[in-house]
Amino acid sequence: MTTLAVGTDTFSVFGTTATLLVSDAGRLDDARNIADTQLAAVDLACSRFRPDSELSRLNASGGAVIGVSELFAELVEAALRAARLTDGDVDPTCGQALEEIGYDRDFAVLQAAGARSPRSGPAPQSVPGWRCVLLDRKRGLVQLTNGAQLDLGATAKAWAADRCASLIAAGTDTGVLVSLGGDIAVAGEPPAGGWAVRVTDDHAAGPDAPGQTVTIRSGGLATSSTTVRTWAVGGQRVHHIINPATGRSAISSWRTVSVAAGSCADANTASTAAIIRSEAALPWLQEACLPSRLVRQDGTVETTAGWPSDPGPA
Amino acid sequence: MRRDDVRFAAAARDDGIHKISKFTWRAGAAGVACSALMAVAFGHHVATTPSSTDNNGTSQSHQPASGNNGSGTNQGSSGTNQGSGGISVPAQPPAPAQGGGQVTSGAT
Repeated sequence: MTTLAVGTDTFSVFGTTATLLVSDAGRLDDARNIADTQLAAVDLACSRFRPDSELSRLNASGGAVIGVSELFAELVEAALRAARLTDGDVDPTCGQALEEIGYDRDFAVLQAAGARSPRSGPAPQSVPGWRCVLLDRKRGLVQLTNGAQLDLGATAKAWAADRCASLIAAGTDTGVLVSLGGDIAVAGEPPAGGWAVRVTDDHAAGPDAPGQTVTIRSGGLATSSTTVRTWAVGGQRVHHIINPATGRSAISSWRTVSVAAGSCADANTASTAAIIRSEAALPWLQEACLPSRLVRQDGTVETTAGWPSDPGPA
Repeated sequence: MRRDDVRFAAAARDDGIHKISKFTWRAGAAGVACSALMAVAFGHHVATTPSSTDNNGTSQSHQPASGNNGSGTNQGSSGTNQGSGGISVPAQPPAPAQGGGQVTSGAT
């Protein structure tokens, strides 16, 4: 039996929903203050839709060397680490590819605008590649070469969840769960029985949505899916997970992949890479000892590396 | 006289062998010392430089030194282990639970 968290807060951030759970309700306000400060800083650093963000400044630099904040350098480093660990399948140079399929504004605005027309111009091709991002952490310098345009959407949210969770646990001495649009990080002492998480396609679905409930006690859990954050371009459905090899929305055997890892950033790296790797993801996750739940397009479920068995179709 | 010549030649030979041997040992020792120094000075690059097989076409020299740890360790959650692919694995896998969740993990 799971013990319910005694403090809960839900709010909007990064165009999605954030949920904050703390095991000591008396520390909820402090926890929220820490989260607000961190999330505002991350948004200012790496939003692709804010002209005043460091990321926008870097993308507009035309390949010049740009001085960046320590926070932005950390975010870039996290993105490069994800690319390195996935042999480039989770690539931060998808900015141009996302714009070419119409994702050039906040997703809420994109949805409200309805179907997009396909852009004229050359056919999509592979993205420039993460090696075109040159980072000098010591001097706080970043340079984009080969026309690369950065998008940190694949890693920044999960990284921010880890950051908030660890700072809240350290600053308030309470167990905490931070969910940013379904990317979940936990830190500190969990409640008895752990944190109960409903794993499903859409993070905005209710706690009883089709899926599976599991408990976690440490690290992170993230879900990637091709069924959410989709829109129409020229009569075709596209989604935001770009296959770097094609520059297009990934075509996958899986509609949804959930992964538990030592951190939310790593869980999200693995779940995103699994969508892109398609069938090859199953042995990869197994070999990496990452507990995972993969849902095929027809709803059948596969699990790896100790993920609790899931008897029914999703 | 002839015997003296032979003795002299043998002594010269032994002296030459001794010099070559001494030089070889010193050169070897210097090589070992240089290798050790290079390992200390540049060893950290092994962790930060990606393998050449995961490139997608751009030059290896373009890869920045992207971080201090660079070794694929995770970012701060406690009680984690290193997976074979470098992605950190959880201290324990998720456990089964009944009913709904306190929070939902799904795509955004």
